[in-house]
Amino acid sequence: MTLFAAVFSHYRRHPLQLAALALMILVATTLWSGVRQLTEQARTSLSQSEQVIAGREQVVRVDGAALTVSDFVTLRRAGLCVMPWLEVPRQGDVGLVIGVDPLAAACFGGAGGAFGNSQIRLEGEPFVDISEAARMARELPAAEPPPSLALIAAGEVTADAVPAGYRLADFSRGPDTGELGESFLLNLDALGILVLLITALLLRSVYRLGIVQRRDSFALLHRFGVPPAQIDRWLVVELLVLSALCILPGLWLGSWLAGLLGQGFGRSLEGLFDAPLYAAPGQWLAPAFTMMAVVLVACLADFLVPGAHRLAGSRGKGKLAGGFLVTGLVLALLSPSLVWVFVAVAIVFAGAGLLTPALINRLADRAADASADPLSRWRYRELAVMARQLALPVVALQFTLAMVLAIQALVTTFEDTFDRWLGQRLEAELYVAVPEGRSGEAAARWLTSQPELQTSGVWHRVIRGRGSVSVSGSAPTPVDLFALSPVSSLVTSWDLLDAEDDPWATLTRGEGVLVNEQLARRLELGVGDRIALEVAGQQLNLPISGVYADYGRPAGEILISGALLPEQFRPDFESFSITPGTLTRAELIRGLEAVWQVSGMTVRDNEEIRALATGVFDQTFLLTRAMTVLTLTLAALALLVMGWVFFTGRNWYFRLLATWGLSRREVAAQLTRLSVGLTGSVALLALPLGIWLTWVLVHRINPLAFGWSLPMAVYPGFWVELIGLSLLIGLGIALLMGRQLRAGAALPVSASSLTGGER
Amino acid sequence: MNQPVLEARDLSKTFASGAERIAVFSGLSVSLAAGQSLALMGRSGSGKSTLLNLFCGLERPDNGVITLLGERFDYREAGAAGQQEKRWARLRRRQIGVMFQEANLMPALSLLDNVRLRARLAEQPLEQCQTWLERLGIGELAERYPDQVSGGQRQRAALAMVFAMNPDLILADEPTGSLDRRTAEEVTAELFRLQAETGVALVLATHDPELAEQCQVTLDLAHGNQAGPAP
Ligand SMILES: Nc1ncnc2c1ncn2[C@@H]1O[C@H](COP(=O)(O)OP(=O)(O)O)[C@@H](O)[C@H]1O
Ligand SMILES: [Mg+2]
Repeated sequence: MTLFAAVFSHYRRHPLQLAALALMILVATTLWSGVRQLTEQARTSLSQSEQVIAGREQVVRVDGAALTVSDFVTLRRAGLCVMPWLEVPRQGDVGLVIGVDPLAAACFGGAGGAFGNSQIRLEGEPFVDISEAARMARELPAAEPPPSLALIAAGEVTADAVPAGYRLADFSRGPDTGELGESFLLNLDALGILVLLITALLLRSVYRLGIVQRRDSFALLHRFGVPPAQIDRWLVVELLVLSALCILPGLWLGSWLAGLLGQGFGRSLEGLFDAPLYAAPGQWLAPAFTMMAVVLVACLADFLVPGAHRLAGSRGKGKLAGGFLVTGLVLALLSPSLVWVFVAVAIVFAGAGLLTPALINRLADRAADASADPLSRWRYRELAVMARQLALPVVALQFTLAMVLAIQALVTTFEDTFDRWLGQRLEAELYVAVPEGRSGEAAARWLTSQPELQTSGVWHRVIRGRGSVSVSGSAPTPVDLFALSPVSSLVTSWDLLDAEDDPWATLTRGEGVLVNEQLARRLELGVGDRIALEVAGQQLNLPISGVYADYGRPAGEILISGALLPEQFRPDFESFSITPGTLTRAELIRGLEAVWQVSGMTVRDNEEIRALATGVFDQTFLLTRAMTVLTLTLAALALLVMGWVFFTGRNWYFRLLATWGLSRREVAAQLTRLSVGLTGSVALLALPLGIWLTWVLVHRINPLAFGWSLPMAVYPGFWVELIGLSLLIGLGIALLMGRQLRAGAALPVSASSLTGGER
Repeated sequence: MNQPVLEARDLSKTFASGAERIAVFSGLSVSLAAGQSLALMGRSGSGKSTLLNLFCGLERPDNGVITLLGERFDYREAGAAGQQEKRWARLRRRQIGVMFQEANLMPALSLLDNVRLRARLAEQPLEQCQTWLERLGIGELAERYPDQVSGGQRQRAALAMVFAMNPDLILADEPTGSLDRRTAEEVTAELFRLQAETGVALVLATHDPELAEQCQVTLDLAHGNQAGPAP
C-alpha cells in the first residue's frame, strides 16, 4: 500500500465523512460566491450610474419648471450645444434606459455619436435612441410620475453663454446618496463574510473530526518511519484536490444563485438608490483562490500555525470571552460608523462563540453535581462532554440561529411598519393623476363644488415639484417638494417620528413644514429647526413642525401647504387623492373628464397601489431571506452529521447502558434527552444573541446604512419556532444514533488508553 | 437451592460470513449451580464472548433453550423476541452482573458515581457503594475519573460495580485480559474472594489455563470453531 493510499484509506472506510466534507465546501462556495457576485454587481452598478452623470452639466430653467421641446429649440437657436436626455424605467424589468439624441449630440465633438467622455460603456446597453425612450415613456402606467427631460450641456458651454431665463446646473440623477450606497455595499459584504464565517466553522468541525479519528493511523505511519512533515504535506495536497473539485461547481452554483436572486435584488437596489443593476461579468479566479485559502486555513489552521490549538482549552478563555463581549457591546453602542458597528458585531460573536460551549459545559456540570440520581448525573456529565467536543458546530448553529432570529425580526418589523405606513399613505380610495397640460386648479374647484363630496367624502390635491433647502446659510440641498391643498384628514392620521403638538394645523396655516426622515438625518434637522426653502426662485423661511417616516426612497422630501406655492411654480406632477363618499366613482370620473375635457384618464384604487408596493417590498428581502434559510439548513445538517459522528464514537457507552439492563427504548430515550438537551440549550443561548443582533440591525446598522430607522420589536412566536427547530435537529441526531445502536457496538478504539477527551 | 442458576440446552449459533454461515458452536449444553464457578476456555475466536452474550441476552442463539434464574428462554420457536428482550433486560438490570475486558465504566463519571449508577439501576442501596470501593482497595480513589486511574484500578472499580448490584450471576469476559500478570492476579484474587463471600455464581471467559483452574468447572470451547458450516 502506498503512503498516499494509507493516508486516504480513512475516507474509504468513512465515505460519508468525505461526502460531508465535499458538501460543506460546495455549499460554502455557493453561498459565499452568490452573495459576492451580487455585491460586485451592485458595486459596479452604483459606480457606473455615478459615472454616467459624473462631471456633466445640464441647462435648467430659472423658474424651476420642467423643460419641454420648445426650450430645446430656444437653446439651440441661441447657439448652445445641448442634447436631450430622457431616462425611462424599464417596464416589467430591472433598470433604466437612457434615451439620447445622436443627431443633437453631433455638436458635442468627437465622431460616431460619441459625446462627452466617450469611455462610458455600460454592460446592458442602457443608451437607446430618444424616440425609443419616448415610446417607452408613453407606455408607463400613468400613476408613475412621467420621466422628465433633461438637456445636457456640452463641455464647452459656459455660464455666460446661457440665455436669460436659463442657468447651468450640475447634472445629478437622484438625490445624493453617496455614503448610503457605500454602507449598503458594506452591509452586503458583511452578510457575505458572516456566511463565509459560519460555513468555514462548519467545514472546520467536520474536517477536525476526521483528523482526530485518523490520529492513530498517522502515529502508526510515523512509527513506520514516515516523517510527520510529509504526512502534513499529504494532508494539504488532499485538501487542495478536494477543494479544487468542489469549489468550481460551487462557483457555478453561486452564479446560478445570484442569477436567481438578481431580479429582486435589482429592484431593491433601484428602490433604495435609484441605481439600476447592470449585469457584471462573472469572476472565477479570484473567488476560487479566496475560497481555497479559506478552506485551507479553516481546516489546517493548527498545522500551519503551531500552538494555535492551545488557545482553545486555556483557562483564561472565560475572561477572554467576557472581555470580547464587553468591548463589543460598548463599541456597538458608541461607534459612529458602520464599519465599527460591524467590527463590534464580530467581536461580540467571537465572545459568544468562546463562551457558549464553556457555559453549557459549566451549567451541565453544575446540574450534574446537584442531582442526586446517578442516572441524571450521568446524563448531565455526557451533556457537558458533548458541549465541549461539539463546540464548533454548536457555535455555528448558535450564530446561525441568532442571525435568523434577528433578520426575521427585522424583516417582520419592517413588514408591519411598512404595512401600517402604506395604509396611512393609502388612506384615500382613489388616486387620479392630472393629465398633461390640464389644470389641477379647475379640478379642485369642481371638487369643492360637489356637495356630496363635501359632506360624505374627503379629498386633497398633491402638487409635486422640486425645491432646495438650506440650513443657516449652507449649500442648498435639492428636495422633492409635495404641496398639499387642502390638508385633509387623509394625511392627519400619519404616524410621525417626531412632531410638535399639532403639526397638521401648523402646516395648514402655512406656518411650518414637514420633512421626511432621510432629509432630517442628512441635514441633522429636528422639530423646531428653521430651514430656508427655495421654491421657483422664491425664498421661504419656515420651522419644521414634524418628521415623517418614509421607507424606500432615498430622496429628501418636504411637505408644505399648497397655499405657500408661488405663482410661477411649475409642478412636475399633480394628482388628487379622493375618498368619494356617496358620490359614485363613475360620477366622479365623468365630472373630472368634463372639467379636463379628456376621455379616459388614469384612476387607481388603493388596493392596486398596495399590491405594487408590497411586491417591491417582498423582492427587497428575498436575498436576505434566502441566505438565512440556506445557512440554517447547512448548520442544521452539520450539527446532525457531527452529532451522529460524536455518538458513534461513544456508541459503546450507550451499549453499556443496555448491558446494565436498560431496554432499547430506555436507551433511546436517554439519547434523545441528551441530544435534545444540547440543541435546546444552544437555541436558548442563541436567543439573547439574536435579540441583541436585532437591536444592532434596527437601531445601528439600518439608520447608518439606509437612512431610516425602525421601531424595535420582538417576536416570541418565532423564538418558539426556532427552539422547536433546534429540538427537531436534536431528535434527528437521536434517531440516527438509535439506528446505529441496533447495529451493535465495538469497544471504543482508545478504551485502554483513555485520553481524557471522553469526559 | 437445587435448581441450577443457569441451564443451557442444545445451543447453536452461526454468523454470516459473506454468502455462507459460519457456526461458532452447535448443540452446546451446560449447567451451573448456585455459588458455582464455570470457566469458559478457548483460544481467541473460539466463541467465549459469544456464549457470554447469549447467557445475558445481548445476542440470540439460532436454536436451543436457556433457563436462567428461573426464567426460561426458548429459541426453538420463532417469534416472541420482543417479549424475551424485555425479560432479558430486567434480568441484566438486577441479577446478572456483566463485566468486560475493559471500558466497563462511564468515562464522564467518577468511580463512585459509576458504582452508584450501577447500584441505582439494580435498585440496590446507594450507601453501600463507597464501602464496595473500599472492599476492593480503591476507596480513596472514589472521586477520580476512569482516565485518572490505572487499568487495574479500573477493573477493581468494575468489580465494585458488579458486586454493588448484588447479582445472582456474574458473567466476566476476560476481565484481566488487558492487565499485566501481577495486577491480573490481584484482581482475580479479589474476584474469587468476593465470589466466595457473596455466594454468587460466576461464568468466567479466559484463555488462561491457570485462571481456569481456579474455577470449579471448565468448559473447553477449543474445538467450537471447527464445527464447520451449519447445515
Ligand atoms: N457480530 C459478529 N459477526 C460475525 N462474526 C462474529 C461476530 N461476533 C463474533 N463473530 C465470530 O464468532 C467467532 C467467535 O467470536 P468471539 O465469541 O468473540 O470469540 P472469543 O471471545 O472466544 O475470542 C469468531 O470467529 C468471530 O469472528
Ligand atoms: Mg472475546
